[in-house]
Amino acid sequence: MTALPTEKIDAVVVGSGAAGSHFAARLAQVGKRVAILEAGPAWENKDLVSSMLWARRLKGAVAPVLETGKDTVGYGFNSGHGVGGSSMHQYGVWPRLHTNDFRVKTLYGRSRDWPIGYADLQPYYDRVQEECGIAGNQRMESSQPPGAPYPMPPVPVSAQGRIVGHGFEAVGMKVSPLPLAVTTRAFRGRPPCMWDGWCDAGCPIGALANAQTIHLPQARAAGATLHPETEVVRILTDKSGKRATGVEAITKDGERVKVMADVVVLAAFTVQNPRLLFASATPQHPDGLANSSGMLGRFITTHGAAPIFGLHEKETTPGFGALGGQLLNQEHYDDKNAHAEQGAFGSYQWMIAHAVKPNGLLGIAPSRPDLRGKALSDFMQRATRHIITMTGVVEDEALAENRVTLSSRKDALGVPLATVAHTSSKEPVALWDTAVAEGLKVFKAAGASEAWHTPRAPMHIMGGTVMGKSPGDSVTNSYGQAHDLPNLFIAGAGLFPTSGGVNPTFTLHALAARSTEYLVKNWNSAIG
Amino acid sequence: MPAHPRAHPTRRALLKAGGVGLLTFTLGGSVVTLSPAEAQAAGVPLGALTQEEADTLAALGERLVPGSREAGVVPFVDSQLAASPADCMLMIQYLGVDPPFTPFYREGLAALDGAAEARHKLPFAKLKDAPAEALIDALAEGKVEGWAGPPPSFFYFVVRNDACDVTYGTVKGFEALGVPYAAHIMPPSEWGEPS
Repeated sequence: MTALPTEKIDAVVVGSGAAGSHFAARLAQVGKRVAILEAGPAWENKDLVSSMLWARRLKGAVAPVLETGKDTVGYGFNSGHGVGGSSMHQYGVWPRLHTNDFRVKTLYGRSRDWPIGYADLQPYYDRVQEECGIAGNQRMESSQPPGAPYPMPPVPVSAQGRIVGHGFEAVGMKVSPLPLAVTTRAFRGRPPCMWDGWCDAGCPIGALANAQTIHLPQARAAGATLHPETEVVRILTDKSGKRATGVEAITKDGERVKVMADVVVLAAFTVQNPRLLFASATPQHPDGLANSSGMLGRFITTHGAAPIFGLHEKETTPGFGALGGQLLNQEHYDDKNAHAEQGAFGSYQWMIAHAVKPNGLLGIAPSRPDLRGKALSDFMQRATRHIITMTGVVEDEALAENRVTLSSRKDALGVPLATVAHTSSKEPVALWDTAVAEGLKVFKAAGASEAWHTPRAPMHIMGGTVMGKSPGDSVTNSYGQAHDLPNLFIAGAGLFPTSGGVNPTFTLHALAARSTEYLVKNWNSAIG
Repeated sequence: MPAHPRAHPTRRALLKAGGVGLLTFTLGGSVVTLSPAEAQAAGVPLGALTQEEADTLAALGERLVPGSREAGVVPFVDSQLAASPADCMLMIQYLGVDPPFTPFYREGLAALDGAAEARHKLPFAKLKDAPAEALIDALAEGKVEGWAGPPPSFFYFVVRNDACDVTYGTVKGFEALGVPYAAHIMPPSEWGEPS
């Protein structure tokens, strides 16, 4: 195991997931001395056993997260555990946010605005997709905002995709290839995907653009050091309280160490970032670091997943393909009031024709929890050949009261646990209801002999350290730079002021590309 | 002396150190490695549950998912509960239940037996088909009179998923369903324990 730096370095990165590894790669590649501290264990490719059971070890947190509210965010399922973070079990569905997603407050008087627009982020989306590789067909996406063509051809469409695609056409809706950060051909030294549908267990061949495939190797090749099982418990500041000086961490041997750096990058996932900032309070920052606005921890959002299932007389080979799906529909995405008559607000998309395994939370058996005994056995025999699937990704509303706070309970290292409170407003629930009704109609039109859905479930966690123009009502500027401490950068989906109705990983990478470019150019002013 | 020594090596670390691929059990004074099905057949001692709890779990699992008793639902659940929560492969680890998870199962199984005793003066495992199925109906609907455990329909959901995992989520389970397993990294044991 690489020894932790004992002298001050240029940047210490807390968390080795998508955002942290992206920061580490970009900074190390311009010659900065970088150390990545990861609370969880190291995973090697051989650990990524193809099994929905083994896959569960890639999720969860070292310390438990407490959840309250009517619509909890599903921290255990949505988070990552160990090197690579939640990127290790992402499904690689990488659509872009749309133009209207950045101006929700201005356009609709709800939720929040982003401090930047789509045009600000477009060059970084283009750059990231060239680096990480996205398969798709831009011209077929009727509503996607402008951008460079995808560097790889689309994911193959199986019988399952064709059947559901016909269902959409039958109700007058269009589908396009799902933009997937998965190789459909050899790409930058990575082999093409084998389409065996084990994305949830990590991708040991490097077909899916996870941290361990893209940015961690780049970071390490450029000299960054990676320190697993090293849990950061506090961000350190100087006497003035205006600068971060490094972090305090506990090693796996139980040793308490300090890693001092000119820049601290906090990339420990949406919930843990505010937890650490709250737990690092000082006399100058009595309510937590970077919290002079009182906004720290607030505006937690999660997508409402709308899983639709059906059985079709034709064989659908549902075990194969990409877990994220094959096709996309964003029919009503650009009008967040499209379903206002139903009391709904927001945008949603359909990810169509998932690879689906017999077991696992998103698997075939749990899709019909009412079945047991012989009825379940019979269903499993049929459904493993004939099931069709898709999932709606439904926008949440950003609400100040949905927030991370510190619990009075502490973990084994003495750090207070995070409590996440989340209760949806009526409009995202109504939008979910609308999406489910549409999904069932599509499946019937596709010829499903029966179609059903499972309950609304949380998918992705965003917010908590939201970016904004004003230091008075946000935690960071548009670069993730803390308003209160210019050498503290926050990275990841926690920066998102609103959730949009698309998967967050592509956008958090685009933000990381923009932030690191800014940081490298403005290094001296950032470190003061 | 370290300031915060980590409690104990994780099961994963032990498995790595020993270079073994299966669950480890102590049998006849020596440590052996077995799959859940083998452990079930060998009558391996329990690590977290009592024999009464194991009997109830096996009976409930078999009624929910036929074949789960033989597939080893008891050694699967019991061995996972006996391990460090950080290494737990049960679905409960990401369903928002605070670890450790043994009390959840213990209280749920006791409540099920309590309900069976209240209705028929028998533990759940001894119930005949009709009363057992009627009690499971009530469990799934969350309407069990006098229930004193975790939310009954959630308990049903969790145990049903455990039984599905060990019955359908293994190489043998895929084979029985006629579904190709098509692994990148083949599970070195029936249910995916890493080597």
